[in-house]
Amino acid sequence: MIRRRTDLPLSRDPSVRLVPWIIGLMTYLACLMLAGSLLLSELLGQWSSGLSGTVTVQVLPREREPARLLNERVDKLVRILERTDGIAGAKAIPLEEIAVLLEPWLGGAVALDALPLPRLIDVRLDMIDPPPMEELKTMLSNADPGALLDDHGIWQDQLADLVGALELVAGFVVLLVGLATVGIVIFATRSGMAAHQDVVEVLHLIGAEDAYIARQFQNLALTQGLHGGIIGIAFGAVTIWGLGYAADHIDSAILPQVQLLAWHWVVLASLPAATALIARSTARRTVMRSLKRMV
Amino acid sequence: MRYGTGPEVLREVTFTLKPGSFHFLTGRSGAGKSSLLKLMYLAHRPSRGLVTLFDEDIATLPRKRLPFLRRRVGVVFQEFRLLNHLSAFDNVALPLRVAGVKESTIRKHVDELLAWTGLGDHMDARPPTLSGGQQQRVAIARSLISRPDLLLADEPTGNVDDALGVRLLYLFEELNRMGTTVVIATHSENLVSRFKKPILHLEDGVLIHHDRVEAGGGTGDPRDSRKPFGRGKRQ
Ligand SMILES: Nc1ncnc2c1ncn2[C@@H]1O[C@H](COP(=O)(O)OP(=O)(O)OP(=O)(O)O)[C@@H](O)[C@H]1O
Ligand SMILES: [Mg+2]
Repeated sequence: MIRRRTDLPLSRDPSVRLVPWIIGLMTYLACLMLAGSLLLSELLGQWSSGLSGTVTVQVLPREREPARLLNERVDKLVRILERTDGIAGAKAIPLEEIAVLLEPWLGGAVALDALPLPRLIDVRLDMIDPPPMEELKTMLSNADPGALLDDHGIWQDQLADLVGALELVAGFVVLLVGLATVGIVIFATRSGMAAHQDVVEVLHLIGAEDAYIARQFQNLALTQGLHGGIIGIAFGAVTIWGLGYAADHIDSAILPQVQLLAWHWVVLASLPAATALIARSTARRTVMRSLKRMV
Repeated sequence: MRYGTGPEVLREVTFTLKPGSFHFLTGRSGAGKSSLLKLMYLAHRPSRGLVTLFDEDIATLPRKRLPFLRRRVGVVFQEFRLLNHLSAFDNVALPLRVAGVKESTIRKHVDELLAWTGLGDHMDARPPTLSGGQQQRVAIARSLISRPDLLLADEPTGNVDDALGVRLLYLFEELNRMGTTVVIATHSENLVSRFKKPILHLEDGVLIHHDRVEAGGGTGDPRDSRKPFGRGKRQ
């Protein structure tokens, strides 16, 4: 087949050039929201697989306590923990490692001995039969009032809640953007029908079925949706790359190292197909519905 | 029938067209000729009364089937209603394309018909660049291209000189001889008296028959069961 023939001079309407850009803007927003929420769930996954199954016991130094005594307290706690049911292992984190962890806040050249740093015990829980956290807490504070149990669970739950909320917001925005796109297509199709009412009527009267007339509008909407979608993800991809580039060049431990995976890009790349199909079916429904009003 | 909430434009109109008949539809301007034709080419539904087309009751026919009925009716609109962005060729081809006819068949038939109506040299011209009479012939060609069973023409000779008007009428007569039922709305006394055909006359929304039986002409016998078109009584 040669070029697709149309009976309606729709592509010459001035609004036709504008619609892909509006759809493009919508797709851009949807693209960023989707990328953001994909990144967040990726991030949450990394965090929970790194953290769950472990708790940390903080041992606070007493005032002017010599390092030797603090070490003894730590060793004693490690021994107790190792004997406890539901605990797979306990290990005191060496002072040097704690120093590394604190470096971003305290700077490199710190005299460790001069600071009353708390000591940390890394406790691996038996994942199959973990001990109740409350019991563990009481047991520890009975053994040593200066021992605090840091249960990452709370922090993790809160993080999961936050990520969940952010994803909900992102999903809501994508939905709104989708509705706005539908609205634009309905509006554009209606004004197209109004502008070409005479042609629509003639087609109708010489025996065109509704689907034939709808095809004229839905083909245009399909192209517009596709163009808009491509514009949207093109700008979206540039933005994501730009942000990724900027993040790579911030040398900090605070920023998590997450990247969009291949299947994330596939999801984003399918956006133009989605906008094209949404636009097409919206235009079709709009035309079919308004033709129903004709005899 | 009435337009919106306006006054009743057609009130007492009852007739049946015999297949293969040829009628003039007359009446002064505003009498309702175009309105009656609109009912017949299914652009309007009657506000009351019965319209039967090819033995189908329009009121009870599913909307999906109407396009197929419309394809059996050729219409020459009073204002032509050509599509200005399409060439004369594409305008004439439109009814066939809408019906899904093969492009090669379309080319052959349209070329032939445009040549026959003397527009062979203007196939690629767009309607606005054609004279009124040429546009009218494009409109007539479009109404004939699908070989309709019923041809409805609203003032098809309004924009041409008498000589061309007579030629166009011969064209309709030719079509009628091949079996198409023809109704022509006209003001032209000249044509009406020259072609001695039965007349449907509208006056104040009331239809009056003037049957002049001629060779090839119909009698408007309402008892004919093969009626291509019928109208119930409307008061
Ligand atoms: N679209 C419309 N809306 C409202 N009223 C209309 C419409 N079309 C026609 N009418 C009214 O219906 C009546 C009949 O009009 P119609 O066009 O059928 O007359 P006609 O016999 O075809 O006239 P003419 O010979 O001038 O073409 C007129 O009074 C006209 O004002
Ligand atoms: Mg009229």
